[in-house]
Amino acid sequence: MNAIEIRNLSKSFRGMYAVDHLNMTVPVGAIYGFIGENGSGKSTTEKLICGHLVPDGGTITLFGKDYTDPGVRVRVGALIEDPGCFPGSSVYQNLMMQAINLGLENGEEEIRRVLEIVRMEDSANLKFKNCSLGMKQRIGIAMALLGDPALLILDEPINGLDTDGMRIMREILVDITQTYGCTVLISSHILGELEKIATHYGIIRQGRMIMEISAKEMDSRAQMFISLKTGEMQKAKALLQKKFADVREEDGSIRVYDADDPAAIVDYLMKNGHVISEIKKNKIGLEEYYIELMSQKEGK
Amino acid sequence: METKRELKFESPSFSKRLKGMLGVDFYRLFHTPMFYIFLVIAAIIPAMVSAMTTMPDANGNKMEPLYSNVWQIIAASEPLYVVNSIADYANMNMVFIFGGIMVSIFIGHDYKSGYVKQLFTTHAKKQDYMMSKSIVCAFAMVCMCITYLIGGTIGGVLAGYSLEVNVGSLILAILGKMIMSFGWASLYTFLNIIFRKYFGVSIASSFFFGTGILIIGIAAIVENLSLPTSFLNLFLYGSSVNACLVSGIPTLLICAAVSAAWAVIYNVLGTRILSKSDVY
Repeated sequence: MNAIEIRNLSKSFRGMYAVDHLNMTVPVGAIYGFIGENGSGKSTTEKLICGHLVPDGGTITLFGKDYTDPGVRVRVGALIEDPGCFPGSSVYQNLMMQAINLGLENGEEEIRRVLEIVRMEDSANLKFKNCSLGMKQRIGIAMALLGDPALLILDEPINGLDTDGMRIMREILVDITQTYGCTVLISSHILGELEKIATHYGIIRQGRMIMEISAKEMDSRAQMFISLKTGEMQKAKALLQKKFADVREEDGSIRVYDADDPAAIVDYLMKNGHVISEIKKNKIGLEEYYIELMSQKEGK
Repeated sequence: METKRELKFESPSFSKRLKGMLGVDFYRLFHTPMFYIFLVIAAIIPAMVSAMTTMPDANGNKMEPLYSNVWQIIAASEPLYVVNSIADYANMNMVFIFGGIMVSIFIGHDYKSGYVKQLFTTHAKKQDYMMSKSIVCAFAMVCMCITYLIGGTIGGVLAGYSLEVNVGSLILAILGKMIMSFGWASLYTFLNIIFRKYFGVSIASSFFFGTGILIIGIAAIVENLSLPTSFLNLFLYGSSVNACLVSGIPTLLICAAVSAAWAVIYNVLGTRILSKSDVY
C-alpha cells in the first residue's frame, strides 16, 4: 500500500493545464521531496490531494482509499502556502480550534505535545500576528501535526527561513518521521536542504511527473567528479581533455567527471608543469542533478 | 518501507464531524470581539430609534410619536409588507441586516486567514461547513434578537411609550423572528459561499437581501394591484414580517416551515457549489 497514489491527475485553469495527467507514488513512511520550478504544478497537486481544488480528471488514493473518504482525510495534516491561522488569536487559540475541529478529546495535552515538537512551548500565548516568519511556519507544522496525522503535506515550509530556522525545521521533520512514522510530502526550492532529509524524490515539470526516484537510487546514479584549481585554468583544461572524456570548467574550477583518483590527476598535471592550488573529490548533488535533468528536458 | 505504527482509518460519523466543525465555529464566535460588538449594536440601535422618535425637532416642537407602544419597536402591529415610514421598518427584522453583515465577516475571515484550508483538508464533506456556519450564525442572530429586545424595551420605556400588549402574540412574534434566523443565516452562508472570493460583494449582497428590498418591491406591486399578499409569507422576509403583534400559533408554524424549507434549500445548494468548485 502506498500513502499517495495518483493516476492521470489533471487540473486546468482557463484552458491551461497546471497539472497534466500526472502520476505519482509516495510509499508509506517516505519523506517525499517534490521538486519543480515555479509554476510547475507542485502546489496545485498538493491542493488537489488536500481537496482544496476539484480535479478535471484522474484519481487520487490515500492509503488505498479514495481521497474524499472522511476517515483518511481526518488523518491528513497540511501546510499549504501559509499556516491558515487567525492573526488576532493566540497560538494556543489557533491550535485549540484545530484540536476541536479534529474532535480531539485531549486537546490541551495534544497542543502541549505539538508545541514541544516544534520547539515553541513558551510561545503559546503569543498572538499569531506577532510571530516571526519562522515561528509561523512552525505553528503551521504544529497545526498539521495535531490529531496523529498519517500524512503530512508541506508546501515550501522552509521558504524564507534563515539558516537556523532551516536547521530547526529539518530536525523537526526528521523527528516526526522517525518518531511518529508519518509519511511526508514536502515541496521545496531549496534542494540542498531537501537532500538532507528526503528518502524519495518526484520531479515535476509543466504539470507532468518527469522522474520519481528514491534517494538510494539517486545516490547510486550520482556522478563522481574531481574539481581542481590551477594557475593556468585554460591550459590545464585542454591538457586534461586529452586524457579524460568529460572535462568542464564550472563554478571557477575545472571538473573532471567520472574520475575517482585525484592522485593520478595531480601526477599528470605536475608532470606537464602545472601547479595545483586546490583539488577535491566530489559527488553531484541533488541541485546539480536537477539542473542537469532540466537542461536535458529543454534540449540544451 | 517499514512503518512504525499500525495505520487505521475510521470514518467519523456525521454527528462527530458536525460536532467538530460546530465546536470550532462556536469557539471562534465566543473568542472574537465581533460577536459582542454586534450584540451591543443590536441593543443600541432600537434604543436610539425609540429615543429619537420622541426628541423635539429643530424648533423645539415635540414630534408626533412614531409608535403607540414599546412593543412596536420589537414587531409591527400587523404584517406590513410595504414600508411607509421608518417606524414600519424599525423593528426586530433589523437584526437580519446586522446578522447578514456579521455572517459575511465571519465567513470572510475563514477565507482571508486561510483557515478554510485547514477545515477542508480534514473535512472531506462540504456539507459539514454549510450546516455548521448556518447553525452558529443563526445562534448569533438569536442572541442579537435577545439584546435587541432588551435594548428596544429599555429605550421604549425611557421614551415613555405604553407597555400595553397581547403578551401571547408578542412572545409568538419574537419566537417567530428567532426561528426565522436559521433561514436567514443559511441564505447569508450561501451568498458568502458564492461570493467567497469577493468580500465586499458578500457584504453588499447580504445587506441587499437582508433589507428585504425585493419583497418590499413585490409587495408594493401586489398591493397596488389589490392582490392577496399572503403568498409573500413563502419568502424569508415575508414570513419575518408576518411575525407581528397579532401573531398566533399558525404564524409560528409558518415561520418554522418557511425557515426550515429555505435553510434546506440553501444548505443543499451551498454544499453542491462547494463540492463542485475550488475552495479558493
